[in-house]
Amino acid sequence: MSTPSRTGGPPPKAAGPPPLPARAGRALLSARMPTVAVAALLAATVAASAALQPGFFSPYGLTSSFATFLPLATIAAAQTVIVLGGGIDLSIGAVVTLSSAVSVVLMQGDDARLPLALAAGLATGAACGLLNGLVVAGLRLQPIVATFATGSMFGGAALLVLPKPGGTASPLLTEAYRMVVLAYIPVPAVLLLLLWLAWRVLRRHRFGQYLYAVGGDAGAAYTSAVPVSAVRVLSYTLGGLIAALAGTALLADSGAGDPTLGTELTLGSIAALVIGGTRLRGGSGGVGGAVTGAIVLSLIQGLVFFAGVPTDAREFVYGCVIIAAIALAGLLTARAAQRPAFQGANR
Amino acid sequence: MGSKPLRRTPGRYALGALAAAGTVLAATACSTPEGGGGDGGAEGPFTIGVSNGFIGSEWREQMLSTLEDAFAGYQDEGVVDELVVESADVDVNGQIQQIRNLIRSDVDAIIVNPNSPTALDQVFAEAAEQGIRIVAIDQAVESEHVTNVVIDQAEWASISAEWLAEEVGEGGEIIAVNGIDGHPANEDRWEGAQAVFDEAGVEVVANDFAEWDQSKGQTVTRDLLTGNPDVDGVFVQDGMALGAFQALQAEEKVGEIAMTGEARVGYMKQWAEQREENGDYSSIGVPNPPSVSVSALHVVVRMLQGEELAADSLDGNSLFLPIPDPVTDENFDERFDEVADEPDAYAVDHAITREEAGAYFE
Repeated sequence: MSTPSRTGGPPPKAAGPPPLPARAGRALLSARMPTVAVAALLAATVAASAALQPGFFSPYGLTSSFATFLPLATIAAAQTVIVLGGGIDLSIGAVVTLSSAVSVVLMQGDDARLPLALAAGLATGAACGLLNGLVVAGLRLQPIVATFATGSMFGGAALLVLPKPGGTASPLLTEAYRMVVLAYIPVPAVLLLLLWLAWRVLRRHRFGQYLYAVGGDAGAAYTSAVPVSAVRVLSYTLGGLIAALAGTALLADSGAGDPTLGTELTLGSIAALVIGGTRLRGGSGGVGGAVTGAIVLSLIQGLVFFAGVPTDAREFVYGCVIIAAIALAGLLTARAAQRPAFQGANR
Repeated sequence: MGSKPLRRTPGRYALGALAAAGTVLAATACSTPEGGGGDGGAEGPFTIGVSNGFIGSEWREQMLSTLEDAFAGYQDEGVVDELVVESADVDVNGQIQQIRNLIRSDVDAIIVNPNSPTALDQVFAEAAEQGIRIVAIDQAVESEHVTNVVIDQAEWASISAEWLAEEVGEGGEIIAVNGIDGHPANEDRWEGAQAVFDEAGVEVVANDFAEWDQSKGQTVTRDLLTGNPDVDGVFVQDGMALGAFQALQAEEKVGEIAMTGEARVGYMKQWAEQREENGDYSSIGVPNPPSVSVSALHVVVRMLQGEELAADSLDGNSLFLPIPDPVTDENFDERFDEVADEPDAYAVDHAITREEAGAYFE
C-alpha cells in the first residue's frame, strides 16, 4: 500500500477508465477498510503469529482463530455503527449477554427451536438498541451516562432470564460454527466477510450517508434536512441488532448460556474500533477498520502468550502493545480524519 | 435497497458477493477440521497447561504458586517437562482463547479454574478431541470431557451455617452476605446453608451480595445492619469475613452479634485479638484450600500415566475432595501458630498427597 498521504480521498476525476490495478486499489481505499495503519498492524500481527504460533495456518489453527475473532469483531462492528452516528454505547456488552440469554433459554439445545430462538435474540438486541436510542436522542441524555445505566438494566434482565449459567445451544449452531467450507475456509471467516459486505451495502444506502453526516456535524446535517434524531435512534437500534448477532456467535462458540457471557466485551469493542481508525467523536471511520482492529486485538493476545512472555508480565506487555497499536493507528489516521467528515453525503 | 437506477458501485458488487457467498455456503459440503494433536500417551514427560481466568486475588496467587512448587517435584523426577500457565483477568471469551492457546501449544493435560460452568463446554470438547485430559478445579463444570476436582461447596457452607445456627438458636434472626448472584459456587453454597437454617428454624431476614471482596463485604454488612439492627447473627462467606468483622466493629456489635469467620490470616489475627480481650468470643473458619490445584495435579498425572479413576470416587463427573478441618475456638491457638507469619490474605491450606490421590484410582 504505497499510496501517498491522501488516504482514501475523494475519487479523482479520471479522464478515462484507469488501469485495473489502480481501480482495484482505489476500490480498496474507498472501502476504507484498511486505513494504512490497521492494514500494517494486521500484516505485522499475522506475520508474527505465523512465525510464533505452531500450526497457525493448520485447519484447526484457522478455525479456532476465526471462531475467536468473530464475536469481538461483530460487537466492534455494532459499536462502530453507533459511534459513527456520534454516540457511544457502554451497554453493548450487556445487550450481547441479554440477547444470548434469551436465545439460549428458548433454544434448549433443540435444533427445531433454533430459528425461533435466534429471531427472539435478534429482536431483544434491537429492542435494547431502540431503548438506548430513544433515551439518547429523545430524552437527550449524555450517551456515555445513559448507556451505562441501561447497561445495568440489561445485565440485570439477563440474570432474570437466566438466573445461573446453563442452557445448551443447539448442536446445529455449535457444529456449523466449527465447520469449514471449500476444505479450508472456516465458517466464521465467511460470516465475517458477510458482515463486512452487509456494511458495504448499508454504507451506500441513504442511511449510511446520513449516519456519517450526523456523526460528523449534527447541526449541519440538521440544516441539510437530515432527520438527525431518527438517524441516531436507528443507529442504536442497528447497533443493538448487530450486538445480538455477536451474542449468537458467542453462543455458538461457547455452546452454552451464561449470564456474564458478553459483559466485558464493551471495552474491547471500543479498543478495536479505535485501532481500526474510527474517530470516537463520530462521523469518520468504518466497520471494515473495526473488524480488522478486532482481529489485531485478538492476535496480539495470542502473540503475547506464544512469544513466551512470563505469565506475570503478560497483562503488562499486552497493555503496552495495545497502547502502541492505538497510538500508531491514531498517528497514521490523524491526517485522514482532517478531511471533511461526511464524504459519502455528496456523492 | 435497489430501487434507484443501478450504478456500478462497490455496493452492487457487495450484493453480488453476498449472494455468491451464500450460494457457496449452501452448495458446498461442509466438514469439521480434525485436529492433529498428540494422543496423550502414557509415556511422558508430559506438558501441562493451566488456564486461570481471574487474577488479583491472593487466593488465586496461592493456587498458582503452590501448583508450581508441586510441579517442580514431578519435573525433577522427569515425569513432566513444562507447565504452561495462562493467567489473566478474562471473560468467558478470553478464557476460550486461553484454552485454545494451550491446545495449540500441544499440552497433554489442562488444569482449569473455569469462569463459567457451562460456557466453556465447546472448547473443552475441542481439547478432548485432541486427546487432552482436562481437570477443573475450584468450580465444577458440566462438560462430560472434564473431571472436576473440587470440594463440595454446599457441604462447605453447611459447616459454618451449622455453627451459626447453634450460636443464634431456634428462632434466631440472621443476615447473609453472599458472593456473586448467579455464580454457581455461590448458589451451591447458599443452598447448603439455607437447608441448615431451615432445619434449625433460623430466619434469614436479609441477604445481599459482596462479590467475595473484603471492602464490599464491609459496606454490604454495614448496610444490612442499618436496616436490621436487631439481628442475632451474620452468615458471611470467605473472602468477606474480615470486612464483615470491621462493620461489626464500627457498630460496636462484636461479640454481641455472632458471625461466621474465615480461615484466612487477616481475620484470624482479629480473632486472636478478640480472644485476648474478650474470653468468650467465638467464631469458625472453614478452609477453602487454594492448593486444590496441587490435589488436581496429583490426579491428572495419574490420569496421564494411564490410570483409571474408580467409579465410586466420582459423583457424576466430580471428584469431591475432603474439606479440611475447620478452625474452631478449640483448635485456634495451634492453627493460628502455623500461619501467623503469612500475609493477611493467606488462606489456610491443604492438599491431598500423591498417595491419597492414588486411592481415587482403580
